[in-house]
Amino acid sequence: MLAIQLAITGLQTGALYALTAVGFSLIFGSTRIFHFAHGATFVIAAYLFYWVYGTGWGLVPGVLAATLGAVLFGLVLDRLVYVPIQRHEGSFFTVFVASFGVGIAVQNVIGMIFGRGFTSVSTPLSRSAEIIPGVYVSPLAWIAMLCTALLLGALHFFLRRTHTGTALRALADDPELVRTFGLNPRRIAATAFVVGSALVVPAAIITSATTGLNPTIGHHVMLISLAATIVGGIGSISGTMLAGLLLGLAESLALLVVDSQWTEAVTFAILFAFIIIRPSGLLGRIAAH
Amino acid sequence: MTAALEARHLAAGYGGRPVISEIDLTLNPAEVLCLIGHNGAGKSTLLKAMFGLIAPEAGEVRIDGQTVTGHAPREIAEMGVAMVPEGRGVFASLSVTEIFALGMHATNVPKEARAERVEWVLGILPVIREFMDRPAATLSGGQQQMVSIGRALLSRPKILLLDEPSIGLAPKLFQDLLAPIRALQQRDGLSILLVEQNVREALKISDRAVVMKSGRMIWEGQPEELGDNDRLMELY
Repeated sequence: MLAIQLAITGLQTGALYALTAVGFSLIFGSTRIFHFAHGATFVIAAYLFYWVYGTGWGLVPGVLAATLGAVLFGLVLDRLVYVPIQRHEGSFFTVFVASFGVGIAVQNVIGMIFGRGFTSVSTPLSRSAEIIPGVYVSPLAWIAMLCTALLLGALHFFLRRTHTGTALRALADDPELVRTFGLNPRRIAATAFVVGSALVVPAAIITSATTGLNPTIGHHVMLISLAATIVGGIGSISGTMLAGLLLGLAESLALLVVDSQWTEAVTFAILFAFIIIRPSGLLGRIAAH
Repeated sequence: MTAALEARHLAAGYGGRPVISEIDLTLNPAEVLCLIGHNGAGKSTLLKAMFGLIAPEAGEVRIDGQTVTGHAPREIAEMGVAMVPEGRGVFASLSVTEIFALGMHATNVPKEARAERVEWVLGILPVIREFMDRPAATLSGGQQQMVSIGRALLSRPKILLLDEPSIGLAPKLFQDLLAPIRALQQRDGLSILLVEQNVREALKISDRAVVMKSGRMIWEGQPEELGDNDRLMELY
């Protein structure tokens, strides 16, 4: 029974990892910007939901506030930090350091406003019910899996069936050629930030209502996103999604054999194994360097 | 007669390093003008500066007499200019159908005209029909070049900038590729600025030629005059 319980918990965690990681992978894959502050997007969305919902505004305003905050943060960061650095031909490393700095700043500001301790949102959907003897699942677990399936299905449709989605894939291939076609790469990159940041929101909200939050949770989210992007294959959205699920399941099932403090180490063991044995990842074309 | 495309005292480069300077170039309507020069002569830089891919440091670019210096490629494309870049010119992960759709979306081809426009291009380059649904990465160099040219033609441009279309192609394939473009130029009055290292083949279809060296124009005239100039022909 414990294995089934852990597998279901792992699927829920993996679904949320998949959403955040696909958001990062979409931004990184199409813009080549190492958006380390993606974790900060998660923190902003989660705390905005916590604040709006917790002050009695209700679920829908909470979700809207979290979405608006996440999307605006991604867009503003792109416009005010990444675009100026790239305009001055700043290196990949410069962008990474700037993004890392913004992530730390967000973490500190959230800590000052909401406190540095653990906090969580209690909703009627958080309570677990026994589905088979000894196995407890909360409605939020089903919502997490359903939400992930729907959003990633919608993302697939967007990337394959719309001009903007096709342009995003084109940008990932060759930004210079995008300009030759007469398209505006900055505008397409902004779309990547909007979509990638919005994908974080369900994961942030469900996490705030299940495992809880603290201002440093963004680092864990970012590390998982990075690991899933590499394990899944850089540039492969489907690969990243699979890797997110795999990492969530592995972290959870590892509890059968190791103590909970080692679960993050399991993620990195998988990451290192892929870097050494299969650097192109599950479905990727480019080797991770 | 107003020039289709012209550069006046044009200078451009990368990161403050000048590559071309004092370029005075005129492309007349319905003319094929061939730009010749060694690697590093500045031919591709000139094309990029004229299409807005790099900002000129000095001088002026005009389309139909209208100044477009510093305009974005999108604006220049909207004025009837299309560019086929050096190299593959296609997005590896997209299918040919997707590349064509994106090209027409980028240049605001009306939705109701898109199917007819694709058929028009397939009439000019019929072989593309065989691999419309394949990802561009799986196509040969010649097929990719055809797709790149086909995509540029979809906007029905008045001016076509072709940057080294022969790279990686067998001479016969290059001739096959140029023949329909030459026919289009003669039939529809398309103006073509052709950058080419395969000088003999390029001159066969050109009305005029310009030779560039170290970022400057050093000779301009009729292709047959260039053929008579032993010193230049030896060089190029």
